[in-house]
Amino acid sequence: MASAPIGSPSTVRSTVNGPAIVAWILVATTALLLSFGALVTTYDAAMAVPDWPATFGHNMFLYPLGEWFWGPWDLFLEHGHRLLGATVGMLSLLLAAILFRRPASPALRWLVIAAMVLVVVQGALGGLRVILDDKTVAKVHACTGPLFFAVATAIAVLAGRRGRGDSSGPATDRSDAVGRDSFVAVGPLTLSLPSWAVGASLPTALAVAAYLQLVAGAQLRHADATLAASTFRWMVAIHLAGAAVVTVLAALTVIAWQPHESRTARRWSLAILAMVGGQLLLGGGAWLFTWGLPAWLQEAWAPAEAILARSPRGAAVITGHVILGMMILGAAVVLALEWGGAERLEQIARTGIRGGGRRLHGPQARLVPGAVTVRPRSERGAR
Amino acid sequence: MNNNPADVRHPRGPRPVWGMKLLVLLVLLVMFAASGCGATPPAWFRLNMVEATKQKLTPEQERQVATVISAMFGTPDNPVALPETGLDEAKLRLAAGPVRSDIVGRKNGLYREHCAHCHGVTGDALGPTAAFLNPYPRDYRPGIFKFKSTERADKPTHADLTRVLKKGIPGTSMPSFALLSETQIDALVEYVKYLSIRGETEIGLIRAIFELDEEAEGKLPETREFLVGERLAEVVEKWKAADTALIDVPEMPADIDLVESIAKGRELFYGDKANCVKCHGPTALGDGQANDYDDWNKYVVEWTSKEVNGDADKQWVNRAHRVLDGDTLEPRTIQPRNLRRGIYRGGRRPLDLYYRIHAGINGAPMPGAKGTVPPEDIWHIVNYVQSLPYELDGELGADRPMVARDRF
Ligand code: HEC
Repeated sequence: MASAPIGSPSTVRSTVNGPAIVAWILVATTALLLSFGALVTTYDAAMAVPDWPATFGHNMFLYPLGEWFWGPWDLFLEHGHRLLGATVGMLSLLLAAILFRRPASPALRWLVIAAMVLVVVQGALGGLRVILDDKTVAKVHACTGPLFFAVATAIAVLAGRRGRGDSSGPATDRSDAVGRDSFVAVGPLTLSLPSWAVGASLPTALAVAAYLQLVAGAQLRHADATLAASTFRWMVAIHLAGAAVVTVLAALTVIAWQPHESRTARRWSLAILAMVGGQLLLGGGAWLFTWGLPAWLQEAWAPAEAILARSPRGAAVITGHVILGMMILGAAVVLALEWGGAERLEQIARTGIRGGGRRLHGPQARLVPGAVTVRPRSERGAR
Repeated sequence: MNNNPADVRHPRGPRPVWGMKLLVLLVLLVMFAASGCGATPPAWFRLNMVEATKQKLTPEQERQVATVISAMFGTPDNPVALPETGLDEAKLRLAAGPVRSDIVGRKNGLYREHCAHCHGVTGDALGPTAAFLNPYPRDYRPGIFKFKSTERADKPTHADLTRVLKKGIPGTSMPSFALLSETQIDALVEYVKYLSIRGETEIGLIRAIFELDEEAEGKLPETREFLVGERLAEVVEKWKAADTALIDVPEMPADIDLVESIAKGRELFYGDKANCVKCHGPTALGDGQANDYDDWNKYVVEWTSKEVNGDADKQWVNRAHRVLDGDTLEPRTIQPRNLRRGIYRGGRRPLDLYYRIHAGINGAPMPGAKGTVPPEDIWHIVNYVQSLPYELDGELGADRPMVARDRF
């Protein structure tokens, strides 16, 4: 573990990294929260409780636990979603309190502020969805959720790095670790990677694409029954095209990260690709459970029984598709930040997006006074 | 030297301007998420634009039909069951409206939760997912249903529709709703009837405009006597008659020799009285006549090819094409069933097959054997059809595969 760099605002370091632990707890709770949210949509349970923020007139926290837990399934989901939401809100507050009492990097601070804003907005959206009984609000609510999850993950990564002293001093040279060797062997082929393909760019693009895919998926899941068939067809087409983009980006990331010095990073990129593969299967499964076999498949094989609507298996596949999508987003955020992107983010947070390490990976010198120095690739090779 | 505390906290540069950008980004993202959708519009019943355009209704006439029909049947959130319909309004209220489950043991909005995405809020089979389904979902408005225990032209019974909901339709996207409670299924069946009666009455009203005499000046009489006593009653009568239109099924002889019966059925299948072979093909793989349409698709095809394009009024032709684009799906031909796969949409009990063969399939080209084949002999055809997925010998020979899946 690196010792604290000289000049770091904090030289006292314990082995327990409090903020990182709280942040990861926040991430895990958010994952559970989003899973409940996805189930609420799958079972159309949003209107199981007519009021908000109260639950059947009770203060949300005082609603009898037994009645909730042993009550109807819809109520279990909706009220559970609310309880988890409140927990996530309080955890965010706690995290902010911890982080703002200690020295933290600007990027971390801005992310925490973003998380606070998002969690408040998200809670209000959830309330509006119920009070107005409006599906459009539900749609937006479903898109803000994963965004918050991504931000929470980013906070956890940055807080963890800070604990290890990775970002408290001048950014280390990790960002170009990926680019050090720009040749990749894929089977018998040797590929030369362009400069944009190394570093955090690909995982960042992957995270963005994964998020947009969640947005597109939410449009499908919340499609109003009055929507025109032609519009819906477009929405499906966009979601399918998005799936192709995410798959390609995940595969490219694996290729680009092959020469990476960190085994964890290489494995992490492979894990994302595997998750994307699983996601394609779940997506196919979700199609089957909602629309049955496409005609061209029916010719070859079809069960003699009709699909069972609302079966637990179907609900698990469809909801699992949403949850795995969120996991892919989180994993891409980790990959992007943990190995290269964090420095860039810090850079951006300090100097604004224009001065930020826009071309941190390019073979050029000195971006910002006092910040990272990147040498041309030729020089690096000679190292 | 610098003793400004702000600078101490941010020793590495100016205070970030990034915050504003973050906010802008957030707002943009939320806008993106909400793009393409204002506040959710309240659910509404769509006018049958295909029929209205086909009958060349003027905009005022369209408005009149819409007003009258909504006075008679209410809205998707507020259904009305006139006593003459014989429908149970309490059941309709359970099925109608937006989804809610805030009363313990009760879920409202069942139709929108389970059905509307395919069958549409109006029951016009124009739900958002409809285009993806093959076969397309059923349009209830013409009041034609395929799988039932009544004679071909008759309405299904309540029990028939209940069975479809419980069993689903194998080989299509229509799932089984066996996990719903009896009450819920009952409410949904009632609601399907409601939508069907509403749709058929609407078609009747649109067509009635053309039977008006001169002095009506193109306006429907808005009297209860005409609307309820004539137009609605005509439709409701048929639904009420369903229970007395049950197919009379003779007992299958208990001592029937199955081998002999199958042989007889086979003869009938290929013979020219029943002539099943014409459509289902000599191999029974469903590869006979394959260029026909079911009633719903035929309606669109015929209207497009004969009437629309042949019309002299170009303005109307343009309008008709717009309606066709927006309110119909690409017509598809119907495939006679591959009988070697053992998948029966209307149910696989021998009784179900008896109904199908006796009455044919309403709305599809499949004719009934009633009248050409004596009732008892229909059991032979049933037995033969049931043996088809397992038939191992016969004239097919090695070059004629037994089941469709062997072809691939
Ligand atoms: C005019 C063409 C035609 C003829 C003649 C015909 N069928 Fe059909 N049959 C069809 C079509 C088309 C379907 C598919 C209907 C549908 O999908 O709604 C069908 C469906 C069926 C089914 C499937 C029912 C189900 O539940 O899925 C059976 C069984 C069947 N036919 C048996 C027969 C028998 C037996 C005969 C002779 C008595 C016969 N058909 C004559 C066209 C025909």
